[in-house]
Amino acid sequence: MSYLNKAAMRSKTGFWPNNRGTILGVAAFAVIIAIIPFTASSSMMNIAVFSMIFALPAIGLSLLMGLAGQVSLGQAAFFAIGAYTHAILLQKFEMPGPVAAVGGVVAAMLAALLIGLPMLRLRGHYLALATLGLGFIVMIAVREWEFTGRTTGIYGYGRPEVFGIPIDNNGLFFWFVAPFVLIGLVLALNLTRSRAGRALSAVNDSELAAESLGVNTYALRVKVFTLSAGFAGLGGVFYAYQVQIVSPQVAEFHVSVELLLMVVLGGLGSVWGAVAGAFIVELLSEGLRDLIPAIIPGATGEVQLIGYGLVLILVIILLPGGLYQVVKSAWAAISARIGTRADAAAKPASAVAVDDGSGEVPTRAFGGLPGEAPAGAGLDEVADAAASDAPIPTVSTPVAAGQPILEVSGLTKRYGGVVAVDDVTLTVPAGQIMGLIGPNGAGKTTCFNMITGAIAPTSGTVRFLGEEIQGKKPHVGADAGLTRTFQNLQVFSSTDVVGNVYMGRYRKGRAGILRGMFGLQGREQYAHEEIAHDILDSMRLGDVAGLAAGDLPFGRQRMMEVCRALAAEPALLLLDEPMAGLSGSERELLAQLLRALRDAGLTIVLVEHDVAQVMALADTVAVLDDGVLIAHGDPESVRNDPAVIVAYLGTDAEEAEAELKELEDQS
Amino acid sequence: MIDFLQLTVAGLSQGSVYALLAVGLIATYTVRHVVNIAQGDYATLAGLGSISLVTAGLPLPVAILIALISVTLASVLIERLVIARVKNLTTLVSIILTLGVSTLLQAIMLLIWGAEAKRLPAFPGSDVTLGGVSIRSQELWMLGALVVVGGGVLLFYEKTRWGKALRASAEQPVAARIVGISPAVASIIAFAIAGFVGATAGVVSSPIYLSIWSGGLLLGLKGFVAAVLGGLVSFRAAIVGALLLGIIESYVAGYVASGWKDAVAFFILIIVLIIRPAGLVLRPNAVRV
Amino acid sequence: MHRAQRRLLVPAAVAASIALALTGCGASNFGGDSGGGEAAEDGPIKIGAVLDITGVGANLGVPEQNTLNMLAAQLNADGGIDGREVELIIKDNQSTEDGAAKATTQLIENDDVDLIIGSSRTGPSLAMRPLVEAAQVPTISVAANAAIVDGSEWVFKTAQNDLVVLERILDDAESKGYTKIALVRDATGFGEGIADIITELGEERGITLTATEAFEPSATDFTAQMTNIRAADADAVIIWGITPSAGLAQAAYVQLGVNKPVYQSHGVANDAFFEAAGPAADGVIAPMGRLLVADQLADDDPQKAVIDQFIADYSEEFGSSPSSFAGHAYDAWLVGTEAIAAAGTEPEALRDAIEATTDLVGISGIFTMTPDNHSGLTADALIMALAEGGRWTLYEE
Repeated sequence: MSYLNKAAMRSKTGFWPNNRGTILGVAAFAVIIAIIPFTASSSMMNIAVFSMIFALPAIGLSLLMGLAGQVSLGQAAFFAIGAYTHAILLQKFEMPGPVAAVGGVVAAMLAALLIGLPMLRLRGHYLALATLGLGFIVMIAVREWEFTGRTTGIYGYGRPEVFGIPIDNNGLFFWFVAPFVLIGLVLALNLTRSRAGRALSAVNDSELAAESLGVNTYALRVKVFTLSAGFAGLGGVFYAYQVQIVSPQVAEFHVSVELLLMVVLGGLGSVWGAVAGAFIVELLSEGLRDLIPAIIPGATGEVQLIGYGLVLILVIILLPGGLYQVVKSAWAAISARIGTRADAAAKPASAVAVDDGSGEVPTRAFGGLPGEAPAGAGLDEVADAAASDAPIPTVSTPVAAGQPILEVSGLTKRYGGVVAVDDVTLTVPAGQIMGLIGPNGAGKTTCFNMITGAIAPTSGTVRFLGEEIQGKKPHVGADAGLTRTFQNLQVFSSTDVVGNVYMGRYRKGRAGILRGMFGLQGREQYAHEEIAHDILDSMRLGDVAGLAAGDLPFGRQRMMEVCRALAAEPALLLLDEPMAGLSGSERELLAQLLRALRDAGLTIVLVEHDVAQVMALADTVAVLDDGVLIAHGDPESVRNDPAVIVAYLGTDAEEAEAELKELEDQS
Repeated sequence: MIDFLQLTVAGLSQGSVYALLAVGLIATYTVRHVVNIAQGDYATLAGLGSISLVTAGLPLPVAILIALISVTLASVLIERLVIARVKNLTTLVSIILTLGVSTLLQAIMLLIWGAEAKRLPAFPGSDVTLGGVSIRSQELWMLGALVVVGGGVLLFYEKTRWGKALRASAEQPVAARIVGISPAVASIIAFAIAGFVGATAGVVSSPIYLSIWSGGLLLGLKGFVAAVLGGLVSFRAAIVGALLLGIIESYVAGYVASGWKDAVAFFILIIVLIIRPAGLVLRPNAVRV
Repeated sequence: MHRAQRRLLVPAAVAASIALALTGCGASNFGGDSGGGEAAEDGPIKIGAVLDITGVGANLGVPEQNTLNMLAAQLNADGGIDGREVELIIKDNQSTEDGAAKATTQLIENDDVDLIIGSSRTGPSLAMRPLVEAAQVPTISVAANAAIVDGSEWVFKTAQNDLVVLERILDDAESKGYTKIALVRDATGFGEGIADIITELGEERGITLTATEAFEPSATDFTAQMTNIRAADADAVIIWGITPSAGLAQAAYVQLGVNKPVYQSHGVANDAFFEAAGPAADGVIAPMGRLLVADQLADDDPQKAVIDQFIADYSEEFGSSPSSFAGHAYDAWLVGTEAIAAAGTEPEALRDAIEATTDLVGISGIFTMTPDNHSGLTADALIMALAEGGRWTLYEE
C-alpha cells in the first residue's frame, strides 16, 4: 500500500505537474490582460491600470505577511521611495528609464534593509509599528526637503518609450506594466513553494522547530522584507510613470492601509489573492466614491474609507483566510462532489485513496504489529516489508566513535533567584546513546534547550564538534549537525507529513531565495522529497505521507518528528521524551531504529521518563536532580547508585529500589 | 529664554494629550495585548461629539460629560463587537483589526462632521502672562486633566484590588480569576478606561488643537510612541515619556522647522526600538523573544 | 493532484472576477483621435475643470465649482457658443498634486477636452502644467503663484500674481514707516518663493525680512511658529496662506499676544477666514479683488456692473455671497469662453485667442493677456481691505 501511495506521490515530482497551476493561471491571466484594453470602458481602464500598479506592492506585502509572518504598515513608504528615486533620476539626472527604474527598486530595498536589520530581531508587532513610523518619516522628509520638491513634488519628466513608441495612453500603459506584474507573480509563486518559502511557512508554524532544523529565521525574514520592499519600489516606479508627478501623498498612511487591505482581503500568503485584492480594492474605492455621496448627500472626501474599515474588520473576524479561503473551500466542496461520483465509477483504485484520506488505515496497521494479535495480517506484511526494505536513514559521523562530540561544561541557568540547572558538566562520546533522566522539574529540558540554543545559559559553555555554541540561535548548532525533537510536539501543521520531513532536509539544501524565485531548484527539491519518503518508509509512516501533519494520531506525530530530525542527517540527535505517547509496538520500532542508527555511528542523547526504556537502550545514563548532575555512568552502576534511588523515589532507599524494580517489571 | 519657556509650556500641554492616550494604550495592551490603533480616534470622536452638543445648545460641562460617557461606551462596544469576536487574537492581528476600526471611525466622523476642523469653545478661565510667557488657560486645563484622570487611572491600578488584579491578568489570567475578574470583564474594564482617557484628551485639547476627523491616527500613534518609552507596561514611564515627547516636538518646531515636528515621534520610536526595545524602565531583554 | 487543481482555481477565480469587472462598452483605450479633428468642430465644446473640491483647498474649490456649474448652465441656456453646446466636466483633485495629475490625464485622454480650468491651488496647478504643455491643451489656472505661468506656452491664470499682491502690502508698510517684516507662510506651492520676493521688493523700500516661518495648510497648532515670530520683534507680520489655516494662524497669533499689525494675502478673501480666526481677525489688512467690497465701490468703477451681476446670480443660486475664488473661476470661464467664441476649439488658435485677450472686464480685475503675459492683471486689480467686525471693508490708505 505504501508503494501505491509512493507512486502516486512521486508522479507529481516533474516540471509540468508541479508547475501546472502556475503556468495555466498565468497564461489565463495574460490572455485577459491582452484583451482588457479592447473591452474595458475608459473609466474601467483607468482602474485596471492602477490595479496593476498596486498589485506589485501588494504581492510584496503578501510575501511579507504570508511567508515571514510580519506586517508592514509602511509599505507606502517603500512605494514612495521607489517612485521618488525613479522620478528624481529621470528629471534631475536625466538618466534613461530602465536605469532610473532599477535605481528606484534598489533604493526601496536598501531602505528596507536598513530598517529591517534592527527591527526584525524584535517581536512581530514592532516591525509593524516601526514601518508605520517610517511611512510618516518618509512623507515628512520628502515634503520638507528642497531636493524632493517639497509639497509639490517631482514632475516634468516624460512618459516612457518602448522601441520608440511613447506609452502615452492607458491601454499601452496597461500592457507596459503587465509583463512586470506577471513576472513578479511567477517569481512570488515560485518563492512560496521554494526551499526558503517552505522554511518560512514552517517558521510560522513553529519558529523553534524550524530553527532547530537549521533555518536562520532572522536572515530569511530580512531577505523577504527587503524583497517585499523591492516589489513596492517597482510599483512606485510605474506609479511615477503613470501619474507623471510624485508628491508626498504617495507615502501617505492611507496608501499603506489600502495595500494592507488588498492582502488581507485576498488572503494572507496567497500571491494570487494579493493580485485579486488589488483589483477589488481599486474597484471598491472607485465604486464607493460614487456610491456614498449618492446615499449620503453632501458626503465628500475620502468616503471610500468607510468601506475599507468595514471590509478589514469583517474579513479578519469572519474570513481570516480572505478570498483565497473562500475559493479553496468552494473548490473543496465542488471536488468532493465530483470525487464521490468518480469513486462510484472507478471503485478499486479509489478505494485506496479514500482509505488513505480517512486516517483510519494507519491506526489499524499499527494496531497489529508483532507481539500482539495479528488483526490485519495482510496489511502488516506490507508494512513489515516496507520497513525491512527501507535503508536506515543516512547519518553523519564527523568524529570517530568514542571521541567527544558534545562537551558541556559548567552549564547553569538561573531564573531570578531560582536555579533551574546548576553547573552541569558532561561529555558525550560519539557513537553512543546517552540517556538523561531525572524526576519532573529536574532541569532536563532546560538542559536540552541550552544545548540546542533555544535558551541562553546564564553561564557555562556548550561545545559541539569543538565549537562553542552556547547562547547562539538554534540554527547554528543545527547547521553543524545537531538536531532535536520536542517534548511538546512542534509540528508544522500547515503542511503534510512528508512536508514536515522534507523540512528536516533544510540544512542539506542549498537553494536560496533567488534560486527559489527563478524556479531553479526543482531537481534539488525532488531529490529531498524522495529522501523524505524513504525516511518515512523506514518508520512505517510512508502510507500517511500525504496527510496533514496535524491529523495524525499523537504517537505518530512524535514518530514523524523523529523522522524529521533524522532527515537532517544529524551527527548528534537530541530526543526529548520520544517514547511518550507511543504504543508498545511503536516504542519497539523506535528502539530498534535508534539502535541501528547508533550502530551506524549516530550519537543520540535522549531525555526519557520511561526509566526502563532508557536503561535498556542507553550506553550511558546521566541523572539530573534539582538541576544538579548527581550520577553519570553505565546503566548498571547508575541503577545502583543510592543517590539516584533517593532522588528518584523519595527518602527510603530500599523501598525506592523496590518500587523502581516494580516499575521496570511492569513496562 | 522666554521663547524657550514658551515652547516648553506648549510642549507640556501637547505632551499631556499624548500622555492620556498612552495611558489608554497601555491599559488595553496590558490586559489584552492589543495595540489599539483607534485610541487616538476616541479623542477626535469626543471632541467632535461635544462640539455638536454645544452647537445644539447644551452647556459646555454637560456636553463634555455626555461625550465622555458616550465614547467610553463606544470603546466598550468596540471591544464586544469587534475585539472579542476574534478567536486567535495575536498582537499582530490586533493591529490590523484596530486599524480597521480606526479607519471606520474616521470615515464615520467624516460623514457626520465633514472634512473641516472644528473647535470646542475654550473652558472657563483667563490666559495669564508670566514673565513674558503667555499661558493659555486651556493649557492649564489640559495639564489638569492629565493629573486628575491619568493620576486616577494610576491610583486605580496601583491601589485598588481590581486594578491590581487587572494588571495581574495580563501575565496570569488565573490570578485575575481568583480576585473574581473574568478575562472578559477585565477586557471590558480596560477598554472602558481607554475610551474614557482618550475622550478626555479629545475634549480638553479641542479648544486649542481643534478636532478633525482624520486627526486621531497621528495623535494615537504619538501616544503609542510614548507608551513604547514605557515598555508598553509602565504608566509612569509612559506619562513622563509623553511629556518629554511633547516638549521635544515643540523645540524641534521652534528651533529646527515646524514641518519636521510630526516626524520627531517616529525617529524616537525607531531609535528606542533599536537601542532599548523594552522601553526606558525595564531590563532590555524582558520583551525580546 | 488535488493541490495542483486547487492552485489552478484561485487564478481562475481571479481572472473571472477581473474579466467580469472590466467588461464595459468598448471605448478606445489607446488615446482616441488626438488633437480634435474636423469632426470635433461640430460636436459639443468640452471644458474640463480640475478643482480642490475636497481636502485642504475645499474653501477655494467648492465656490469655484459652484461658479463654473452656474456659468455653464447660463451659457447653454443662452444657446451655447456659436450654437455649440458646452459640456463641463469637473474633477476633484482632493487638494493633492497627484490627484490633479490623474484628473488631468483623464480629461486629456478619456474626455478629449478643448480647454481645462484649474487647479485651485498652486501645487496642483504646477502638477498639471507639464501634462497640458505636452498634450497642448490650453489651460487656465485659478491659483495665484506666478510660477504657474512662468515661461508657459499653454497655461494661463486669472488670480492676481503674488508679486503684485506683495507690492501692495509692502507699499502700505513703507507708507507706515515699517522697516522690519516677519513672514509666516503656507508651506505648499502657494507660499513658496514668497520670502524671496519680499526680500527683493523690500530692498527698494527699505524693508528687511527678519524671520520666516512655515505651516502646513492642514495645521491646527501654530504655537511654535508664532513664538518665533514674536521673538523676531518685527514692525509688522505677513501671514501668507489660505483659509482655514491662515485664519487659525491669525487666532494663534493673537492668543500668544504678539501685538503687531498683520497683513494677510488674497488667500483669505472669503468669509471662511472669519469663521476660522474669530474676533482675532479684526484689524487685519489684506490686498484682494473688488468682489468682497463690492457694496463699497464707487458707482463709476468699471468692474462694478459685472461684479454686482455676479453677486446677484451667485447669491440667488447658492444662497450665499461668492468669495474671491469664485471670482477667479468666473474670470477663467470668461477668458476661456470668449476666446473659444472668437477662435473655435482648434488648440493653437484657441491659445492665440486667449493671448489676444484685451481689456476684458472680469471679477478680479481687467484682463489683458499677451504671449509673454499669461496672467493679465496689474496692481490696479487689487484694493486693500480691512477686516472689521466679521467682514471685509474697503481700506483707505
